[in-house]
Amino acid sequence: MGRIVFAGAMSHVLDPDYYDHACGAVGRRMVEEVMREIRAMGDRCVARRPDALIIVADDHLNAFSFNAVPAFCVRIGTHVDRMVQDEAEAFDKVLEGMPARYPLHESLAGGILERGLADNFDLAFSWEAPLDHAFLSPVNTMYGDRAIPPLVPIWINCFVAPQPTAARCLALGRHIAKVVAASPWNVAIIGTGGLSHFPELALSRVGETDTVFDRRVLGWLGEGDDEPLAALTADELHKAGEHELLKWIVVAGAVTPARAELRYFGELPRINLTAVEWRLA
Amino acid sequence: MSRYAVNSLLYRLKKDPTYRAHFLREPEAALAGVDLTDDERRAFVARDARRINELGGYLHLVMSVPGIAGH
Repeated sequence: MGRIVFAGAMSHVLDPDYYDHACGAVGRRMVEEVMREIRAMGDRCVARRPDALIIVADDHLNAFSFNAVPAFCVRIGTHVDRMVQDEAEAFDKVLEGMPARYPLHESLAGGILERGLADNFDLAFSWEAPLDHAFLSPVNTMYGDRAIPPLVPIWINCFVAPQPTAARCLALGRHIAKVVAASPWNVAIIGTGGLSHFPELALSRVGETDTVFDRRVLGWLGEGDDEPLAALTADELHKAGEHELLKWIVVAGAVTPARAELRYFGELPRINLTAVEWRLA
Repeated sequence: MSRYAVNSLLYRLKKDPTYRAHFLREPEAALAGVDLTDDERRAFVARDARRINELGGYLHLVMSVPGIAGH
């Protein structure tokens, strides 16, 4: 019987130059600190020898255009490529220099897709979508030069309203856990992004965070209490700049009632850099 | 306000370097065939990232189009 052997969630722009530019020396120092913690999480993940690594991340209108905006999408196929852009700006720059191609875990991705369809959980699927920083920055920080296990990338629509509900994200996590339990594999799962930043997605408010909201969320995660997470509304998430919490909620749904331990919380003007790791039985 | 028109234009500016170069060189000509309100057109011609965002331009696109990026 399969098991989730590692579960974590962490901020996903892991680029000292980006935060140096955005926040000065304190930005560089804090992102280097959170990266050290994420690297240590990677050490523990590697030690548990996962057969697959599920990454729950989001699209920044990079992989999907306005042609279609899937609420949930799983990447299928044998491999996936890093996104390449001609003149990357801001958070896209961190991708440069990362490995260009990554193997996928076809069977686990197929199980999440097909069992979902049978159980009324209809994910979109893609053979072509490339991965941006939301996926690859955490993975490469965790693994460094070590071999990255076959990936199962899953996109959650966190930014283009209307988004899926928090309750539905929790249910997606439960669905993933069910598929893993019925499989023969040891699986790691991470959710990326956050915590609070970019309230109301207004350029005029870039630089604001909501530490009170973040602390409340971290309290619930620490208690393994997912009911208040499921009750969060799109409006609350939008106002607090917690759009990316939806992905953490998917991971919480996959491992509840496990409790999350805080590995890092650093308050910057632009974002509260955060990393948590769930204590699994 | 035509949120789709603003965002599909931002997306094209991000992903299509030839079109982006044309826009940066001759914004009015590059936008001639694009269905925008007068307000939207003025914001793009001025490369006013904040105004484009206020008019419905998706924040992560506004922040990552080379030549417009406001952050």
